[in-house]
Amino acid sequence: MIKPTLVDQYLAIFLLLVVGVLFAAGSFVASATLGPKKKPSGAKVAPYECGIVPDKEPPSRFPVRFYLVAMIFIIFDIEIVFLYPFAVIFRQLGSFGLVEVLIFSVVVFVSLLYLVSTGALSWGPAKRLQSGMPSRTSESTITRITAEADGPSTHQAA
Amino acid sequence: MSGILTAAVHPTIPDLITFIVAGLMVLAGAVGVILSRNPVHSALSLVLTLFGIAVLFIAQQAEFLAAVQVIVYAGAIVVLFLFVIMFLGVDKRENIESDPLRGQRPLAVVLMVVVLAAVIALGVNAHWATGVHHLVGRTGTPASNTARLGRSVFTTYLFAFEATAGLLVIAVVGAVVLARRPPESTGEADLEESEALGTGSDADGELGDGSAAALPEAAAAADESAEGMAPAGSEPA
Amino acid sequence: MSALAVVTAHSTIVLPHIRYLAILPEIVMLGGAVLLLGIASLVRRPLRVTVSTVGTIVIAGTSLGLALWQWADISSHGPYTAIDHAVVVDGFSVLITITVACAMILSALVGDGYLRREGVDGCEFHVLAMVSATGAMFMGEANDLIIVFLGLEIMSIALYVLAAMNHRRAASGEAALKYFVLGGFSSAVFIYGVALTYGATGTTNLTQIADFLSHNVIASNGVLLAGLSLLLVGFLFKVAAVPFHMWTPDVYQGAPSPVTGFMAAVAKAGGFAALLRVFVSSFGTLQSDWRPILYAVAVITLLFGAGVALVQRDVKRVLAYSSINHAGFVLLGVEAATAQGVSASLYYLFTYTFMTIGAFAVVTLLGRRGDGHHDIASYRGLAGRQPLLALAFAVLLLAQAGAPFTTGFLAKFQVVDASVNAGSVPLAVIAMVSAAIAAFFYLRIGLIMYTPVAGKGFLPGIEPLDDDEANAGPSGESETDGTGDAAPAELSAGNGQRPVWSGTEGAVVVRTQLNAELLLDTAPGEVQVLDPSEDIVEADAVDDETAAESAAEDTAKVPVPALAALAIGLCVAVTVVFGVIPAPLIDFAHKATLLFIP
Repeated sequence: MIKPTLVDQYLAIFLLLVVGVLFAAGSFVASATLGPKKKPSGAKVAPYECGIVPDKEPPSRFPVRFYLVAMIFIIFDIEIVFLYPFAVIFRQLGSFGLVEVLIFSVVVFVSLLYLVSTGALSWGPAKRLQSGMPSRTSESTITRITAEADGPSTHQAA
Repeated sequence: MSGILTAAVHPTIPDLITFIVAGLMVLAGAVGVILSRNPVHSALSLVLTLFGIAVLFIAQQAEFLAAVQVIVYAGAIVVLFLFVIMFLGVDKRENIESDPLRGQRPLAVVLMVVVLAAVIALGVNAHWATGVHHLVGRTGTPASNTARLGRSVFTTYLFAFEATAGLLVIAVVGAVVLARRPPESTGEADLEESEALGTGSDADGELGDGSAAALPEAAAAADESAEGMAPAGSEPA
Repeated sequence: MSALAVVTAHSTIVLPHIRYLAILPEIVMLGGAVLLLGIASLVRRPLRVTVSTVGTIVIAGTSLGLALWQWADISSHGPYTAIDHAVVVDGFSVLITITVACAMILSALVGDGYLRREGVDGCEFHVLAMVSATGAMFMGEANDLIIVFLGLEIMSIALYVLAAMNHRRAASGEAALKYFVLGGFSSAVFIYGVALTYGATGTTNLTQIADFLSHNVIASNGVLLAGLSLLLVGFLFKVAAVPFHMWTPDVYQGAPSPVTGFMAAVAKAGGFAALLRVFVSSFGTLQSDWRPILYAVAVITLLFGAGVALVQRDVKRVLAYSSINHAGFVLLGVEAATAQGVSASLYYLFTYTFMTIGAFAVVTLLGRRGDGHHDIASYRGLAGRQPLLALAFAVLLLAQAGAPFTTGFLAKFQVVDASVNAGSVPLAVIAMVSAAIAAFFYLRIGLIMYTPVAGKGFLPGIEPLDDDEANAGPSGESETDGTGDAAPAELSAGNGQRPVWSGTEGAVVVRTQLNAELLLDTAPGEVQVLDPSEDIVEADAVDDETAAESAAEDTAKVPVPALAALAIGLCVAVTVVFGVIPAPLIDFAHKATLLFIP
């Protein structure tokens, strides 16, 4: 009825872990044996490979949106954590549990609505306007051009 | 059933091995977090620690908690840490030799020893009277464990459960408000304000300078990319 | 496996009965905030400030009305616990609910003018404030440590974000970061305390903890005491008592002024409510253990708050240290740990809400556009320029100092009286000494306001314009150097954008004026630099005040929006009226304590 030891119960997970470690180690070994032995020169690994060695690191730009999405994922992750125990005892709770979970979900759903409306989840180069963001004005176009004139690094696509 | 109870009180050999292995994982991860030079390695060491804790949870028959630990902490929160590390620049060499506060390190060591001694003293002198309901042994299968948790959530902690919805909403709104680009940011005003605020400590000045340095470039790129954020490490062109 | 599954399936769950009246004010507040957020999400453009303000006032007003209904209900039927004893509805919790709802209404009134002036659209300010207020209400009516913690977190996280609301000031973000890091740390300490308390007593329910402790004499109670002290640290951080006050001055100074007022009132009300309930009622049997700690904390809080405030030059910092001093006074009532002490503390919290929000409302107005003019020197001669505003501020400051015929005096008198009756005479004496010290800095601000400006210039050694001068000065030029021609263009883009969206007045006119300002900005001239923006503020404001005739920034009148004037008027009225006629409010606090469920 009940497994007396942990080993039997979690043997599968343990095996999966071992397979994972073996795969990772195998990848390293394979790349070391099959890959080219010669190390690439400094100029070869430099960005763009255009022959001019950059004298400073290119500023890597990382849109804050990625972070926002990760953050939002955690929030809805936590919602799921609450829904799982509910699903297990769903039948015993009956309509009471359903109503409570619906209240919970609707409240959290409004935050999803807010996210969509502020454009936090919209993707791709075509930007949607956020609340508080102005539409494109003549001044902002000027800004954009001058920003491009500053150098390609600042204008690197997000 | 009584056999299981005694088994739980006197750990079997597999239980002991599980505990030792998991404990070593936790400790190795924790040491790795503070000793790694590369912050990404620190974050990955943290995964090891969290995973070890999940194994310990399983050893205590807290299966649901173990799953949550892996999904939420090891899966999501560490990813968030990695995002922050990437934002701030992995390659940037931090000067970790000089302390922001004088005498910080010796003090930290002393404090660590004191706290450790206190915890060990508390553990050795384990005669604290507590009101814990004595529940030794298995509470059931993983499924019934989760069912019990669900029962608690929908009876004793029902109000807390509903209140959590408010907490989640505030987290979403807060994240969006903070991540949103200020529509109008001028570098110099910010610098002045932060200097006015500073009480003279080094950390204040650095914060002010950093944000001001990042802002001109950020303002230039504001229209191009609505949410694009220049990392603090990059220099304005 | 199957046998257990059968057992699980057959055991029925006793579902908790939900008495909705018990949590109706909170439902309205939280539900209203969520509704506002939903509406704002569904309409395409950012919600106008007016809509958010009206919505917030209606929601908070409804919440206040429902709290008064609760009051009537428990007055006739007695207090009760609800939802599996997770919340308690008694006089104490209702009084805290009323306090927080009042604070929310007043802050919405003050915030309206501020948001217009700073050009912040959208509903986020109000939504965050309302959810924060809900958190404070949860803390007031919590009967379970988990609920206390959730209330604490809901309140605090919203406050962290509110402190960072002003994107244009790096100080705002810096304040929020400091508050967040230290607040997160204190929350972790608090939840550790909850865990240890649970370990020691076997429950998180406050009533059951009290039961357990009254039925069991614990010989070796190290775990319980450790949990208790960690809980105390968490609470003392929130109420800004002295060893845990480090964040207060910087956060009060950096946060937007209306948020500071809200934070001062609501965080104190929520923090002290939970502190009182947990310690006086649940840990009442351990009084001999925690009273000495609070005694020491109260002494250093009183003296430190009053002493350091004396040497501050920034009005918001002065008020921050004064709030620390006030926390010391409320601790007097907690330390007494008697019914009288609880009653005095509640009275103090209720009246302090009005005093502090009113004071920060005046500070908000005088901060001008950009919320940066908080140097004490810029208050010079205020009485000559705007006598009513100066009078209101003076009254609120005198009330905080504890002048007779104000609620401030009665509040201080009651906590000191409670302290004396509880046998802590030296503490009461120290409190009175600190009140005397504190009177100095309140009077100093008052005197400066009533000192006329000497001639047209300013006194040597006082640099009232240093902020703006520096803005137009070296750093502005260095930026121009750094980005070449881009700087003026992007600045004008940045500043010109906003009025298009606020959309109330003629947008084109406003933008040209802002451009004019920016042209001036790059020139070396200083004094007239911000004049165009002054005009805009005048145009934006609902007020009928005439434009300032003087060119100098600091001698110009500040516009007083009607809603902010209403808020200040309400605060002054409550402070003075209940100071002259003390009976109703004192009875209110007294009755709230009588209806206190232990």
